[in-house]
Amino acid sequence: MATPPLPNSTLCSDTIALDKNAIVAFAARFDPQPYHLDADAAAQSIFGGLCASGWHIAALATRLVSETLLGSGMPFVQMTSVSHLKWLQPTFVNEQVSVRIALGAMEEESRIAGTHGQAIEVDVCNEDGAVVAKMTATVAIARDPKRAVAS
Amino acid sequence: MTTLYLRDRWFEDLPVGEFHVFGSHTFSELEIVEFAQTFDPRPEATDPEHARGNHSQGLVASPWLITAMWMRKMVDYMEVYAQGVNDGRRNGAGVAINDLHWFEPVRPGHTLTYTYEIIAKPDRVIREKWGLIRSRNEAFNQYSSKVMQFEIDILAERRPVNSNDA
Repeated sequence: MATPPLPNSTLCSDTIALDKNAIVAFAARFDPQPYHLDADAAAQSIFGGLCASGWHIAALATRLVSETLLGSGMPFVQMTSVSHLKWLQPTFVNEQVSVRIALGAMEEESRIAGTHGQAIEVDVCNEDGAVVAKMTATVAIARDPKRAVAS
Repeated sequence: MTTLYLRDRWFEDLPVGEFHVFGSHTFSELEIVEFAQTFDPRPEATDPEHARGNHSQGLVASPWLITAMWMRKMVDYMEVYAQGVNDGRRNGAGVAINDLHWFEPVRPGHTLTYTYEIIAKPDRVIREKWGLIRSRNEAFNQYSSKVMQFEIDILAERRPVNSNDA
């Protein structure tokens, strides 16, 4: 496992492509509104085209945060709070999504036993480098890396 | 028809203090595992055996599954209470959330009840036709413990000037 990054570091994730099937499958389950399900209806909507549910983007970004922190020697356990999340622009079919994570303060307290809190600022970006969403969150990080790795 | 509807009222007609119970959902082990396979594919999030010895002491729902289900319950609720309103006219998108907390684990078999209350109408006009409705949203489990809360700003269309359309 890599040496944990220094405070105030910035980490970048891999990229995930959001295809139409994934967008529609998520929306059908959790956000069945026309602009997330049907291209024609979406073209007439405020978004102007078929785009992912904002909750889909949030969940995907959190997966990328988890993988990036784990890959950087920080045993991610769970996101515990989001003080702010702003959706800045829609994410359309076949956009490539990645996250840029700025590490903030480490907090001693966490509601999950065996963890401490880590503040993060997350920019969710598309392949053009545009920020499609911004999130300020706290994640629980295991105090004992072995325990997280063993699980 | 009286005006219990969320979708067929203009921004001006949605009062601060209005409260709705969107409904309840019982989370199965299968849906917890399936969500995690896509959004949190670590063994402790997808495999009950692995999860047993971990921080969570058993399989728990991904936080975003708990929140995404709020969205589904809201959409279902609006469909029931806004039948026939399908022009999308006053059906705005979410813009931002604040103070989202997940307080307690949600485990297979737990039932959450989702509530919604309009708490503010920030004084903003967006793209000339939209206002913002700020709501506080909460989820309670079958023991009446609050397991999640957040505030969200959602666009609502303002009544056009000179409109007689109620």
